[in-house]
Amino acid sequence: MTAIAKPAGPQRRRTRPLAQACLYAVLGALALVYIFPFLVQVATSFKPDAEAAANTVALIPQTFTFAAYDRLFAHSDFPLWFANSAVVTVAATLGRVFFASLAGYALARLRFRGRSLVFALIVAVMAVPSVVLLIPKFLVLNQLGLYDSYAGMIVPLLVDAAGVFIMKNFFESIPVSIEEQARIDGAGPFRTYWSVVLPMARPALVTIVILSFQGSWNELSHFIVATQSPELTTLTKGVASLSSGQLSQGTQYPVKLAAAAIMTIPVAILFFVFQKHIVNKSEGAVKG
Amino acid sequence: MTLAPQTPRRTGSSSGPARTGPARRARRGEGTAGWLFTLPVIVILGLFLLVPVLMALWVSFSDWTGRGSPLAPGVGFVGLDNYAEITSGGGLPERDFGLAMRNNAWYVLLVVPLQTGLSLFLAVLVNRAVLRGRGFFRTAFYFPSVTSSVAITVLWMFLFSSSGAVNQVLSWVGLSGPNWFNDPRGIVHVALSSIGVDSGPAALTGSDALGVTWWDWLSGPSVAMSAFILMAVFTTSGTFMLLFIAALQNIGPEIDEAGLMDGASAWQRFWRLTLPQLRPTLFTVLTLGLIGCWQVFDQIYTGTQGAPGKTTLTPAYLSYEAAFRDQRWGQGAAISFILFAVIVAFTLFQRWALRERDGERRFRKTANGGAP
Amino acid sequence: MKPTARAALAAGGTALAAALALTGCGQGFDDTTDEDASGELSSSDDPLTILYGASGEAETQALEAALAAWSEESGVEATAVAATNMDQELSQGFASGSPADLFYLAPEALAGYAANGSLRPYGDELSNKDDFYPSLVQNFTVDDEFYCAPKDFSTLALVINTEMWAEAGLTDADLPTTWEQLDAAAEALTTDDRAGLTFGAEYQRVGAFMAQAGGRLVSEDGATAVADSPENLEGLSYVKSHLEDGTFAYAADLGAGWGGEAFGKGLAAMTVEGNWVTGALSADFPDVQYQVVPLPAGPAGPGTLQFTNCWGMAADSPNQQAALDLVEYLTSTEQQLAFSAAFGPMPSIESAADQWRTDNPDLAAFLDGSDHATGVPVNEGVSEVVADMNSQLESLAGTEPEEILATVQSNLEAVVGG
Repeated sequence: MTAIAKPAGPQRRRTRPLAQACLYAVLGALALVYIFPFLVQVATSFKPDAEAAANTVALIPQTFTFAAYDRLFAHSDFPLWFANSAVVTVAATLGRVFFASLAGYALARLRFRGRSLVFALIVAVMAVPSVVLLIPKFLVLNQLGLYDSYAGMIVPLLVDAAGVFIMKNFFESIPVSIEEQARIDGAGPFRTYWSVVLPMARPALVTIVILSFQGSWNELSHFIVATQSPELTTLTKGVASLSSGQLSQGTQYPVKLAAAAIMTIPVAILFFVFQKHIVNKSEGAVKG
Repeated sequence: MTLAPQTPRRTGSSSGPARTGPARRARRGEGTAGWLFTLPVIVILGLFLLVPVLMALWVSFSDWTGRGSPLAPGVGFVGLDNYAEITSGGGLPERDFGLAMRNNAWYVLLVVPLQTGLSLFLAVLVNRAVLRGRGFFRTAFYFPSVTSSVAITVLWMFLFSSSGAVNQVLSWVGLSGPNWFNDPRGIVHVALSSIGVDSGPAALTGSDALGVTWWDWLSGPSVAMSAFILMAVFTTSGTFMLLFIAALQNIGPEIDEAGLMDGASAWQRFWRLTLPQLRPTLFTVLTLGLIGCWQVFDQIYTGTQGAPGKTTLTPAYLSYEAAFRDQRWGQGAAISFILFAVIVAFTLFQRWALRERDGERRFRKTANGGAP
Repeated sequence: MKPTARAALAAGGTALAAALALTGCGQGFDDTTDEDASGELSSSDDPLTILYGASGEAETQALEAALAAWSEESGVEATAVAATNMDQELSQGFASGSPADLFYLAPEALAGYAANGSLRPYGDELSNKDDFYPSLVQNFTVDDEFYCAPKDFSTLALVINTEMWAEAGLTDADLPTTWEQLDAAAEALTTDDRAGLTFGAEYQRVGAFMAQAGGRLVSEDGATAVADSPENLEGLSYVKSHLEDGTFAYAADLGAGWGGEAFGKGLAAMTVEGNWVTGALSADFPDVQYQVVPLPAGPAGPGTLQFTNCWGMAADSPNQQAALDLVEYLTSTEQQLAFSAAFGPMPSIESAADQWRTDNPDLAAFLDGSDHATGVPVNEGVSEVVADMNSQLESLAGTEPEEILATVQSNLEAVVGG
């Protein structure tokens, strides 16, 4: 978590102005390629349908309109999708932070029979690619009577093996002395975990928050197989159905792009808030 | 979503509990607490990962057609029938599976090297920028990685539409772009037909594997799939770039400077000094790339549903479609297990390749007279 | 790593035990699958859920109004639920044992659900069953069992942009009734930035030309695959030749999602579509002036394709009696004409035909087509064959029609029989 970047060398390198100029030209061009699509996206969401289809590159709409946003917020289930995504994401994130740190702590510090077995199980589970679980998850949710309910959407997301793994590694990297002191003072394992260990674990907890927020907010396949009611549609599922034209025929780019832009905002905020944390540590979330 | 957790270096004082032997006099309640603390994780992972896998394994060997419980008494065991139908049945299921494997294989073949190469390139460039610029560029390159695959697919469908931004930009330099997401032609076939080869030799068109002729296996990804390939490179290169930057910073400038004194060129220094040190990260990136690339689902579900001409069908999407649309649950489950096996095989292969390299290095060292 | 591997194995065993234990305590599944599908209709006070795929706001409102009126009358609550992905939501509903009571059902999906017992056939219990067009009843009959009431239907017709027609110097005398006349009109209407005629790259459109040449995919009795006939080859070759000379174009190649969109945007002067196109045009392209005429006759005479949906009833519905009552209400002459006025579908019953024709003189071509319309084959597994065929039709311009038909034939033989 705290891999400290060594003072980097570039400033000390003998700078050659021409090489530096080239470097920045290349970097600038690449950055443009990476950012431009998002600018086009935002610009198009403010264009009327016809202009969006006719003039796809212009960054400034000739006719500036909120029609797409009006349509999304006033004439569709979009607010509901957003609320569902928010509820599920917050619940899943809280659950993951709590359960992953709890289990990580136990696996790192507490001695109990079967500990290595539990850890092996968690490592094994990390190796199962999520996409093969598509059909299986539906079957089990169904069997448990959780299909098409908030519980069915949230409970499977409450725990993720990688989070436990990260927390265990973190707890093993911090000194035990403080906990020992708490124990000697007579605190039980949960007290020790809750009031002594957890406050020290902030950097690792932030990692879990980022991973689980991003993961749950962007999750699609789980919601496809876990629900069918329109009231339980999340942003990903809703926008995907919008995109594949299942709700309407025709292209309607501004509405789709506006929806996609809005669903990016929360993760973008998270990203900018924790940016330092994300880029300064060596581990990161990797998209599948 | 996969994760690349890097084990933090253990500090000397934090010996694991296994080694803090004296406290064997069992702190009271620790055993119970240990189980209690891990119980939620065990129950949830068990219920939503292990049990589902076992249940689907049963479905893949059964004739369940999607009504009522697959564990009900009326559902029969059919052995390997479902697996046989998709690998040697000779009908549509086999051909669809073959096409999906072909599409995804090309996807992997192109995405993995491209995203690895690009992310390494970006990392090296960003690492050379002065500190302030570094933050900006890192943000710019990483941003696509935080967006959801659904949102990015929606954007991509727009950018690559027939009169979309990509084709407009191409037209500025006098190129007329294809109708990306509606173009089923394989890019290798397109290249061949531009030099006048429009159909393959009989040796390739006459025989087939999984219902797809060898000529079609070699078609390359379709133009539509190529757009998805570009998208994957676009969205993943930022993440992998971060891994490479971290690794580059851990190397530090000393080695590079040593190389400088030897009079090596920048290219030589990178190739001979920097790259070997990046190897662990390189392997992490390759492994994650391989695993991720075999799981293409969200993009296809959101974007093309396998069209045009089934050239963006992937095994993951086919498995979904077979079960949820066509009521062939057994075959759908069988496809996902074959996919599972493919992913495991690739991971093992990668590990094996890694091990081989280590042996090689040790061997070379010894041969050079260095003490092992 | 050895001990952990053993541990993992042990853990797997535990989970297996858990899985087996689950079989005893499942609540989600309704284990009543083996009851006789055609016994007594179930009856209860349960409210009804109707799953539908809406073409637009107008359909949603009309359906909700009709349900509200029926609920008032019958005292049974009925809720309409819009599907975002019909196939998937139906499948999940059937597997979970709590499907919607009534739902839109396409003929090509009928056989599959009928085979696994998800549907409750009720056609013969309808009081108005003799009023439905026989060809539609045929579309929803599997193994001599009339499963569900046709909801509405349409045939394909030729939709012409009258402004472009006049601009090209064409008159009413040029309205095409044969392939040759269609060739001439399409050629006259084609310009650098628009095609003469457009339609989707699918059997559901291209098949109309195969029908005009006298071809079909499955023999009329549904027992034999007849895809590789010379008639089909003639139809496909006709379309291919015009895709190549540029007078016909697929909607996707024009950058549109479907024929109606390409037509509305002025990317083509004519399109082959069903009557749903009228609603879409007035909603999205209200300024486009158009005229609907029957498709031209081919070498084998007039021919078109027919599309329909029915009101499927779930075998697991707890209140089938009320559902049957609701279907009779929704398919009544009065209600079908109301739907027609609201969002344009054509009534599935003969008793409404005259009134409909009077109300919609401009659209008569859609109804007239029913005299010589071919339905989409309904054998189990055919929809996947058609989907595969569609994926090949996308590249018709660069493929030999014989190859496509040969593949379709062998795929069909696997599901229908030679």
